[in-house]
Amino acid sequence: MTREHNLLQDAIAGKRAALARLLSNVENDSAFAMRLAQDLAPHAGRAHIIGITGPPGAGKSTLINQLLPRALGTHERAAVLAVDPSSPFSRGALLGDRVRMQGPSTGSNVFIRSMASRGDQGGIARATATAVQLFDACDWPVIIIETLGIGQVELDIMNLADTVVVALNPGWGDTFQANKAGLTEAGDLFVINKADRPGADSTRRELLESLSLLARRPLPTIVETVATDGSGVDELWGAICSRFMQLQADGDLATLRQARRMRLANKSIRAELDARAAASLASSAGQRLTERVAAGTMSSEETTRVLLQLLQGDQASAP
Amino acid sequence: MNQPSQKRILMSKTGLDGHWRGPTLVARALRDAGFEVIMIGMANTDEIVRAAVDEDVDLVGLNIGGHIDVALRAVRAVNEARPGLPVFAGGTVPPHAKRQLEELGVEVYPPGSQLAEIVDAAYRLTGATAPA
Amino acid sequence: MQAKTPPEVIRASSGFELKPFYTAADIPASHRERIDIAPGEAPYQRGFHPGGYRSKPWRIFQLSGFGKPEDENERIKFLLRNGETGFIMEHDRNTADHCYNVDHPDVVARREDVGLTGAVMQSVRDIAICMDGLPVDSSFAHPGGAVVQHAPFALAGYWTVARRRGFQLDKIAGTGQSDFNLTYLGCVTKQQIPTDAGLRFNADIIEFCGQHLPYWVPVSIAGYNAADTGLNPAQELGTLFANAVEYLDEMKRRGTVDMQMAAKGCAGVSFRASIHIFEEAAKMRAARVMWSELLRSRYDITDPKAANLRVHCVTAGSKMTYQQPLNNIVRGTLMALAAAMGGVQSLGVSGYDEALSIPSEHAHQMSLRVQQILQEETNFCAVTDPLGGSYYVETLTAQLMEKAWEFFDEIEKAGGYLACLDSGWLHARAAENQHDEFMAMETGEANIVGVTCATEDESPYEVDGFVGTDDAFDVATERLHETLRTRHESAAGTALKNLEAVCRGSDNIMPAMLDALDADVTLGEIGDVYRDVFGDWNTPIQT
Ligand SMILES: Nc1nc2c(ncn2[C@@H]2O[C@H](COP(=O)(O)OP(=O)(O)OP(=O)(O)O)[C@@H](O)[C@H]2O)c(=O)[nH]1
Ligand SMILES: [Mg+2]
Repeated sequence: MTREHNLLQDAIAGKRAALARLLSNVENDSAFAMRLAQDLAPHAGRAHIIGITGPPGAGKSTLINQLLPRALGTHERAAVLAVDPSSPFSRGALLGDRVRMQGPSTGSNVFIRSMASRGDQGGIARATATAVQLFDACDWPVIIIETLGIGQVELDIMNLADTVVVALNPGWGDTFQANKAGLTEAGDLFVINKADRPGADSTRRELLESLSLLARRPLPTIVETVATDGSGVDELWGAICSRFMQLQADGDLATLRQARRMRLANKSIRAELDARAAASLASSAGQRLTERVAAGTMSSEETTRVLLQLLQGDQASAP
Repeated sequence: MNQPSQKRILMSKTGLDGHWRGPTLVARALRDAGFEVIMIGMANTDEIVRAAVDEDVDLVGLNIGGHIDVALRAVRAVNEARPGLPVFAGGTVPPHAKRQLEELGVEVYPPGSQLAEIVDAAYRLTGATAPA
Repeated sequence: MQAKTPPEVIRASSGFELKPFYTAADIPASHRERIDIAPGEAPYQRGFHPGGYRSKPWRIFQLSGFGKPEDENERIKFLLRNGETGFIMEHDRNTADHCYNVDHPDVVARREDVGLTGAVMQSVRDIAICMDGLPVDSSFAHPGGAVVQHAPFALAGYWTVARRRGFQLDKIAGTGQSDFNLTYLGCVTKQQIPTDAGLRFNADIIEFCGQHLPYWVPVSIAGYNAADTGLNPAQELGTLFANAVEYLDEMKRRGTVDMQMAAKGCAGVSFRASIHIFEEAAKMRAARVMWSELLRSRYDITDPKAANLRVHCVTAGSKMTYQQPLNNIVRGTLMALAAAMGGVQSLGVSGYDEALSIPSEHAHQMSLRVQQILQEETNFCAVTDPLGGSYYVETLTAQLMEKAWEFFDEIEKAGGYLACLDSGWLHARAAENQHDEFMAMETGEANIVGVTCATEDESPYEVDGFVGTDDAFDVATERLHETLRTRHESAAGTALKNLEAVCRGSDNIMPAMLDALDADVTLGEIGDVYRDVFGDWNTPIQT
């Protein structure tokens, strides 16, 4: 732990290599990540955390490339966490987001870290949350997370970011029927990127329609952008900042973060419980239990009660 | 169960040369062999070093499409910023260039190398274990 | 070498199965009627001209260039002295392909790289040095501009120097290239204009040549670059004609030049001659038929001047091995033979050191010698279409056409050639083939001599890759400053402004480009205008 402690001190003191190594450790060692998250918890909360999500190829990386110079106008430095999918077969990954981040995005006041999802289904990686805390603790005032291009209903980015930007393209309505609801619920701001292509107007209409079904007031801002030439990006950055400042001014940021932390904790608790239950059910006692459930000789209520006892290590009550 | 940690490889091109056939094949083969491959396209020395440090990679792969001095400069800078970080290279690398790279500790896989050789080198250089 | 058990199925590179031998019955009925049509007659499968190589041997036409313009000039003169019958001026890739001057940060960061693959030519002054003493009037020239965004500059530069030297543009002969397959498929540079702007440039060039340079081939679609990126011969054909259709449809839409003239402007193309020699020879024959059919059916053009495809061919660079480079002389010879058997008009043989560097003087000389031996010693030029009537080759020709039209239709269905570049559809096809080709080598299904087998090397000397000059960057930097300091600044400024206005509007870009070159406007300044007006192409691939 002392080596890791030194690393943390170095990282906080501004050594990039130390921060980079800590990020790897967080990715590779979940027990370490848990300890670190606990250590960092009191230091977190200074950075503005922005999530960019949306379907594959929507232009998320290209948008970030445009947002970075604007972010650097307001802040001294900016960090990016770009998540791409891991192959379920080989566990390998092609992490290509950096290719789109060129020019000012490659300066020393920018820290880009590519991250493979490593099997996580929520659009980010399991390590992303702690990685964000780490950047925050190391004094990176703005942290932009690019989720992998899924557009699934399960959007973990909501539990992580102060501002969730959903990037869509003209024609979105036709192609992403199934995921509409999830995405519209997730977004604090909406971008219709590739507005140089036909159909931006109808996409805006459809988006407004979907949004109006939700009970959110006021309706989230919708910005049209062309990430490849930067049009609309000033407006987008303005919208991101003014929403954040409003939250701060109204004192809503704290409430929002509390709710987010609760959701994150909830999710983590449920995940842990699921994992333990699965392990329990795989044990010999658990298997006997399953057999009886299948045979219909034990009610599901009774099964739950016994399983909970099993989880508490009460072997005596095992069937 | 903790699986062995995933190894990360940075892939970059040193020249302003847009031929993509070779590098793409290699990147995909490495992905299929279980590596996380971070691609940064055509990058200069500063960009390569920054990515090697920030991404905390276990290996740097350079595709060399131009003058060897450009590649040597990148290798030296990587060696300085991340001492001991292995580098391997492919591309247009005539014998004299190959020797110069090897003097800096770079493993060179000239055209005609098999993907299997390159993947094996990646396992060996990163200390990863090949799947059974 | 180990004896291999013969595989059950042997396939052509284009994918169809090959039989152990062929008979007359294998030739599709629809193709049989073409066999007896003489060379020079539609649909030209048997050749461009009735006299074949008797009346005109193929042009010996080698890519050449490196270093400073004077280094390149010297190399071109060396090649001409050694028997080359046309000349090609290569521009430095770092500056030309990106339309950067040498002081661009991305170039400065790779300063040693500058001049490695072609001479640095940033203004008409540099082009004049490169062209010094070259036979502009009596030779066939390719002044560079392989990459689309660079073509107007390269052509205007050459034409400006030619005009200054007293030649009339309507008399000189040569070819442009501005090849989409190179620019957007095979060699995707870091920054370049989008495909729609590229299409406009090429249409402008076709239009301008149609009006002012009757002997000039305005653009030359290079199947080569599609093939060397991974597309198979049938796909190479399909892609090339899908590309031609984009140009011709645009010309038709414009209606500014006669369609026959426009078609003639697109009728000088290049292919790759690879190592499966019969399939490659058949490909050249198929190409001629396809072109004449395409013009007839789609544009109602039958005039032989347009319908008769003229083919430049380059041997497959990617087939040249790093190991045992002298073996490549044999490969070059075989691929050259394939091209000649296919009846091409012009040929470049890759240097034996291709996998190591740009050609050394000796490698260049050998590329000439290979062709000279074929032309002078083998009696090859005596008879046109030596493979005509071969059961095998005629069947291959017909099968290739069929497969190629299928691929053409696939491209059209996927939105057309340009859309397939923008979306990465063609890149994906190429990548699939690359993968298969590599796997065949890895599994030992395909052998490469000196690489996967027969690896013992007794060569008496090491081929070590050619390194040109080491002062290209410094001299180019000096000359850039010199040009900027000594040119007539207000004339240059006006010309550049005018060029920008034309880029923003819809007038033909070439007159403004000629004025800009004449006023010593530099390449990087022109590139900045492009970037401002057109923006960058969204590359569909990540490397
Ligand atoms: N026409 C147009 N193309 C764009 C625009 N923004 C991005 N693109 C292009 O869309 C493609 C995908 O862009 P990326 O930024 O990689 O998209 P992404 O959402 O990060 O993609 P993934 O990370 O793979 O999900 C690239 O070719 C971009 O150049 C835009 O505003 N207009
Ligand atoms: Mg991305």
